[in-house]
Amino acid sequence: MEINNITYSYDHKVNHLDDVSGKIDVGKVTTIIGPNGCGKSTLLGIMANNYVPLKGQIIMDGKRITTMKPKELAKKIAVVHQHNSAPADLTVERLTSYGRLPYKSMFSTNTITDKEAIEWALEQTNLLDKRNKTINALSGGERQRVWIAMTLAQQTPFLFLDEPTTYLDIYYQYEILELVKRLNEEQALTIVMVLHDINQAIRYSDTIIVMKNGKIVTQGKPEQVITKSIIKKIYGVDVSVKEDEQAGLFTIPIGI
Amino acid sequence: MNKKGLISFIIVIVLLFVATIYSVTSGSIQVTFTELVKGLITGTNNEVQVIKDLRLPRIIIAIFAGAALSVSGVLLQSVMRNPLAEPGIIGVSSGAGFMAMLMVSIFPTLFFYMPLFAFIGGALAFFLVYSFSWKSGFDPLRMILIGVAINAIFTSLSQTFNYRGSYTSSMVQDVTTSTLSMKKWADVEIMVIYGSIGLILAFLVFSWCNYLALEDKTAKNLGLNVNVARFVISAIAVLLASVATATAGLFLFVGLLVPHIGRILVGTDHKLLIPFSSLLGALLILLSDTLGRTIIAPNEIPASIIMALIGGPFLIFLLRKSDRIYGN
Repeated sequence: MEINNITYSYDHKVNHLDDVSGKIDVGKVTTIIGPNGCGKSTLLGIMANNYVPLKGQIIMDGKRITTMKPKELAKKIAVVHQHNSAPADLTVERLTSYGRLPYKSMFSTNTITDKEAIEWALEQTNLLDKRNKTINALSGGERQRVWIAMTLAQQTPFLFLDEPTTYLDIYYQYEILELVKRLNEEQALTIVMVLHDINQAIRYSDTIIVMKNGKIVTQGKPEQVITKSIIKKIYGVDVSVKEDEQAGLFTIPIGI
Repeated sequence: MNKKGLISFIIVIVLLFVATIYSVTSGSIQVTFTELVKGLITGTNNEVQVIKDLRLPRIIIAIFAGAALSVSGVLLQSVMRNPLAEPGIIGVSSGAGFMAMLMVSIFPTLFFYMPLFAFIGGALAFFLVYSFSWKSGFDPLRMILIGVAINAIFTSLSQTFNYRGSYTSSMVQDVTTSTLSMKKWADVEIMVIYGSIGLILAFLVFSWCNYLALEDKTAKNLGLNVNVARFVISAIAVLLASVATATAGLFLFVGLLVPHIGRILVGTDHKLLIPFSSLLGALLILLSDTLGRTIIAPNEIPASIIMALIGGPFLIFLLRKSDRIYGN
C-alpha cells in the first residue's frame, strides 16, 4: 500500500496533513506515533477512505481506494475505531456477524462461509464462550475484542486499529497487542495501528512512522527511528533509550 | 427471538384482533358479532350497512395510520440515532399537513393528490430539520430543538388558515386535527395502498437500520453506503408519516411511545422491532379512537387527544429513564 502526497484539511484553512508520503509493507505491523493533533488518526482515516484527501491518493493493489466501491473496499480493509457504540442488547455473535456485511446482498441470509468466518473470528479473539452475552455485560477489554472480532469476520488482508489500547488497563492493553501480533504472525494480516505508548510501538512493530504537525518525520525500523534526538524533536521530552536483555529496546522519560 | 419477544408478539396480535372486533361492534349503533358477519354477507341488515359505510373505514384507517406512524418513528430514530426523533415532534407531520392543506385550498380539484402534497411537505420539513441540525454530526439536543421550531412554524402556518373563515377551514380540519370520523372508503384506499407500500419497504431496510445503530464510520468501513442508506430510510419514514397525516390527521407521541415500548419488549433488532411497532401502533390508535367515540357516545373525543393523554406522561417517564436502552 502506498501513501502518495496526501494533503488534507478539515476546515480548508490549515492543512492537517501536508504532502504526506509513505509506504505500508504487506504482511508487517506498522505503527504510527506522534503527539496529539499531529494527524496520525487522520492519516489512518484517509487510508481507510473515511476522509477524502484534497490532494494525493492511497494506492492499494495498484488501485486508488477512492475509486473502489464501499463493499469492495470493506473486503480489503477492516478498521477498529477508537470510539464505538452499539445497542446495549446486541450479542457478541450478532455484532461479529455484522462483519459479514460486505459479502451480503439484500436478501441473502447467513451462508456456510459466513458461519465459518464468524466462528473463526470468535475463536481468534477467544470469545467463543461469550458469544451469547450482550455487549453491555462485557468488560472493556472483552468489548474491544468483540470489535476486533467483527473486523476479522470481514476477512480482509489489511487490519487498521486506531488507538486500540486507549481506555484499557495495562493487562488488557497487552492482551490486545498480543492478539494483534498473533494475527499478524499466524494469519499474515497486514496491520497498521496508531499507538500512544512508544514502548508498545517499539515492541510490537516492524515499522514505525513518526509524525508531527501533519508531516511524516521519519519512517523505519524501531531501533533506527526511536532515538534520543528524534523523541526530543517530536515530543519535546528528554528520554533515555536503553536496551534490556528481557525487555529489548525501551525508553524512559527523564525530563522536559 | 427470545421468549419475552415471542409472548409480546402473540399478546399484541391477539389484542389487536379483539380490539378490532370490539371496535366494529360497539359505539352509538351496537350489533352482536354474529349479526355483523351475517349482515356483511347478506347486506340486508341496515345497521350493519351503516357500520360498513361509516365505522369500518375509520377502523381500517386507524390501524394503518397507527402502524405507519410508529414505523416512521422507528426509522427516524434510526436515521438520526436519536431516541426522541418522531414525525410529530420534529415537524414532519405538521409539514405534511400544512402542504396538503395549502395545495388543496388553492387547487381543490387536486384532492386525490393530497398524499403527494403531504409527502412533499413532510420531506421539506425533514430536510430543514436535517440540514439545520447537521454540524459535523448530530447533536441530539440541537436536533430536537430545531425540530420543535420547525414543527411550531408549520403548525402556526396551518392555524392561520383557520382564521380565514372560509369554506377551507372546515374542509381542512381533517388534516390539522385528527377526528377519524367521516372517513370514506376512498380514504381507506389511499391509506392502505401507500401505507402498505411504506410498511413493506420499511421492513426491507431493517438491516440498514441495524447497521446505522453503530457509529457512521464503523458502518462505512463495513461497506455500508451510509449516505444512501440514510436517504432511503428517511424517504420511507417521510412517506409513512405523510400518508398517515394526510388521511388520519396529526397524532403526537405515537411514533415515540411505540418504538420505545417495542425496544423494551422485543429488543433493538429492527427485524423484530419494525413489525412489532406496526402492530402495537395499530393497536394503540385503534384503542384511542374506539375509546374516544364510545366513552361519551354519541359525542366524540378525537383519537389524537386520547393518544396525547397517554403520550405526555410517557415522555416524562422516558426522559427520567433514558439511556437504559441506548449507548453501550
